[in-house]
Amino acid sequence: MGLPVQRTAAWLRAALPLTLALSLAGCGEGSAGADGLEVVPIGFVGPLSGGAAYYGRNVQRGIQMAADEIAESGGFEVEGRRVRFEIVSMDDRYLPYETATAVRRLLQQRRPSVIFVPHAGGIRAVQEININEPKFLLAAYSSEPSILEAENPLTVMLPPRFDGYQEPFVDVMMGRFGQRLGLIPTTTAYGRAWTERVTAEWRRRGGTVGGDHGVDYNTTTDFTGAVSRALADRPDVLFVGGPSQPTALVIRAAREQGFRGGFLVMDQAKFEEMVTIVPMSALEGSIGVYPQEDYPTAGTPFFVESYYGRYGEDFQVPTSEVAITYQAVHLLARAMQLAGTTSDPEAIRARVGEAARGMPEELRIFETDGVTDQGHLVRAVYAAHILNGEFVVVEIPVPAGSVVH
Amino acid sequence: MSRALAARLLPVGLLVVAIVFPLLVDNPYLVSVAVTAFVIAIAVYGLDVLLGYTGQLSLAHAGFFGVGGYTIGILTADHGFNFWTALPLALGLTVVLAHLIGLAALRTRHDYFAIFTLAVGVMIVIIIDRWEEVTGGTDGLIGIPPPPPIGPLRFDTLTAQYYLVLAFLVFTIYVVWALMHSLVGRTFLAVRNSEDLARAVGIDAGRTYQLSFVISAALAGLGGALYAVFLGYIGPAMGNVQMTFMMLVYLMIGGVASLAGPLVGTLLVMGLMQALSAFNEYQMMVLGPILVVVIIFFPHGLAGQARRLLSRP
Amino acid sequence: MTLFLQQLVNGVALGSVYSLVALGLTLVYGVLKVPNFAHGALYMAGAYVAFVMLTSLGSGYVVAIVAAVAVVALLGAVMEWVVFRPLEGKSPVHAMIAALGVLFFLEGTADVIWGADFRQVPTPLDGVVSMAGINITEQRLLVVVAAVVTMLALYWLLKRTLIGMSIEAMAQDREGALLVGIDTRRVALVTFALSGVLAAIAGSLIAPLVLVFPTMGAVIVLKAFVIVILGGMGSVPGAIVGGYLLALAETMAGTYVAFAFSELIAFAMLVLVLVVRPTGLFAKGV
Repeated sequence: MGLPVQRTAAWLRAALPLTLALSLAGCGEGSAGADGLEVVPIGFVGPLSGGAAYYGRNVQRGIQMAADEIAESGGFEVEGRRVRFEIVSMDDRYLPYETATAVRRLLQQRRPSVIFVPHAGGIRAVQEININEPKFLLAAYSSEPSILEAENPLTVMLPPRFDGYQEPFVDVMMGRFGQRLGLIPTTTAYGRAWTERVTAEWRRRGGTVGGDHGVDYNTTTDFTGAVSRALADRPDVLFVGGPSQPTALVIRAAREQGFRGGFLVMDQAKFEEMVTIVPMSALEGSIGVYPQEDYPTAGTPFFVESYYGRYGEDFQVPTSEVAITYQAVHLLARAMQLAGTTSDPEAIRARVGEAARGMPEELRIFETDGVTDQGHLVRAVYAAHILNGEFVVVEIPVPAGSVVH
Repeated sequence: MSRALAARLLPVGLLVVAIVFPLLVDNPYLVSVAVTAFVIAIAVYGLDVLLGYTGQLSLAHAGFFGVGGYTIGILTADHGFNFWTALPLALGLTVVLAHLIGLAALRTRHDYFAIFTLAVGVMIVIIIDRWEEVTGGTDGLIGIPPPPPIGPLRFDTLTAQYYLVLAFLVFTIYVVWALMHSLVGRTFLAVRNSEDLARAVGIDAGRTYQLSFVISAALAGLGGALYAVFLGYIGPAMGNVQMTFMMLVYLMIGGVASLAGPLVGTLLVMGLMQALSAFNEYQMMVLGPILVVVIIFFPHGLAGQARRLLSRP
Repeated sequence: MTLFLQQLVNGVALGSVYSLVALGLTLVYGVLKVPNFAHGALYMAGAYVAFVMLTSLGSGYVVAIVAAVAVVALLGAVMEWVVFRPLEGKSPVHAMIAALGVLFFLEGTADVIWGADFRQVPTPLDGVVSMAGINITEQRLLVVVAAVVTMLALYWLLKRTLIGMSIEAMAQDREGALLVGIDTRRVALVTFALSGVLAAIAGSLIAPLVLVFPTMGAVIVLKAFVIVILGGMGSVPGAIVGGYLLALAETMAGTYVAFAFSELIAFAMLVLVLVVRPTGLFAKGV
């Protein structure tokens, strides 16, 4: 006999729950302010579940923290109205198609004029959407310069570009440790772009570069093999980097196998997270991004105090993801004030540069200095070189050719 | 009499609902959810052709979804092809690749076949991920253009893309329906029910599996190609094993070996996941047991269950 | 030469973990014909139990391993009882999909309890042993030794105990086992528990060397499938040999070709072997 192949009447019964699901999905929300302040929605679409959730929550925390601060201090004034932000978050599980869907959903329900997206894939997917009606400003959290190449007029790229680090890093490390560089970076496209630049710079300065023994930091169980291979070339400096925790494992393996040189650490990895896995002594001689908690700027102590005051002394350390998005929300509030609108993304975007230059001292966690034509927020960047267990400041120059306004 | 009539009118009625849907809701978010679900449903039909009708589980399914998507993406974004010329090429490449892989993979059956195709799927993604010059690596590719107009028909709006995808979905369902009502479809079921018996009556089981595998992969490729064009962006995640797993969840919940199953399962589960996205954290924790319950108690899924209830006197 | 020897040592350490994971998978397959996709989640569960014992509960390392073994063995048994027993007699594809459901559930649960963050398990053994320029950490040495001890114990269990012999008998011939009066349901339960024991030993041994997170078992279980197929599904010696061979192949190919491609090796090997011999390298004739 076998099974009957089909019976069309089954369609209707099975389709009913779907209708229910879709209508549920369409439920909108109102936007009224219980505290007398006008509520302006700001979107966040990023990974809140799955493997990248830790990262996504950091970014979200910075945004939320700033919004809470603004609300608690009575909001800010735009054209005579007192305004506060409400952060509306959506999970995209780090998948670009989910980002696009979630953004459409946000627009449908709340029509925010600003949406934060914290990964390059999602940013690109959204750059296809944000210039059509309804328009919105894309606050892009990614240090990938290629998101600027889209020349998207409504994108503001928040973090520093990754291509500013290689010159000063190579300068410091070659001077201190010697001419031979070994490579064990992660093999993501970002890791490879970094590897290419650091290799080119190292060679340009007359150094020699060993073979590329990069591995995928997210899927590798055991780094010892790759480390042994790289160390066989007797490097003076090892280029490593990917997510902080696996990066720390690579560093640990290298030290266990007797490596005494320094680590040139990709900006994706953060020292403050690595020290939860390896002792500070293992990091001696490394160079990488400056730990956020001690960032050498006027606004940092204010930010750190507010952070621990809000989340408790025992809470995880604030990373740059938190600090950068925190500052960005305050900056957007100022840009809205200057533009006299909370809803026109083009007008807001036009005032971002001015807002960036006029940040008050307690918000100068980063010394922002305007925005480039392509939409990059320009700031002074500091890296850290670890000398005798202390972080020593290394200044990263602004990339040449940036047009600031 | 009325039941037979209803059975005929129902698909027509549903089609009418699908056609007026974007006009009625006027909600780009819902329309885009529907487009994504339709596109994935096309691939899920492919999975069903192999699993439902011949009993083999290919875990490389999302791999072929990726091959279709990347081929059309690379051709249109980087090499100046347009959708209409690139689509046959994308399908062609998927078919050729599936044919070659099938020749090797179908030397095995059942669990070995599943694991073999799992390895193939993983390799496809690693290759996409590492072949950066062509595929854009982990970053993927952006700027995949929408289909150019045919005469007065334009495809650059969401609504237009909805109808295009709907047309492909209807075409897919028709193909699967026609296949299952053909002699070929009967040979599929024959090898599923008993390979030995099928051989005994002179069916070439090897060729039957091969055909089913290639058709299955072609539908995955079609879904992948539409997915790439609709999204305008592709990344390696579209081809990975988790994607296959999700398609399998849609299929099992909707019901294998039924014409409604893949569409019902995909729409229902994707719709629910959207509706409950605030609880995304708990998604896998809930989906897992549902899958187990479905396998143990409702191995023919919702569509199978509905059919059973309806056919009761 | 030093590099070669160093990589040999690294490969053996990695192979010990691969073999332990593959052993549990192959036992379950041999006895029940269930391709258990959730096996990697058992390994992950073992690591998390060790993590909780060592950090929140402050126990010693040995106690942590014992606790991991006990919890995961129970988990394995429950899995057999609740999920796979009702599927008895259905096709392996059904069991496979059910196993996926279990995998989703266990990974999702770990995500809800501990979050997706990377966790680090402290180890009491943080020294390094060096000999003639070859380095191995004490923890890795422990992994190798404990793996060998576990394998010997497993061998003893299968060859010298009644339940072990029942497992072997059932793996060879299910109906035959039933005929000679073996309680096949009990054997199935014990086999699943045993596979949990092996996964937990692997997970808790490697936990201090790697990062602990909900999907940590995803890659290793794929490799274990490759090993088990290479070694012949259900073959215990095949899983052991296959585990070490794969680890050595990956390490050596990484060393002398490129590490970026070493992840491809497992899958390429599988495809090649199945093309040449669709039943696996060491499989007994069906």
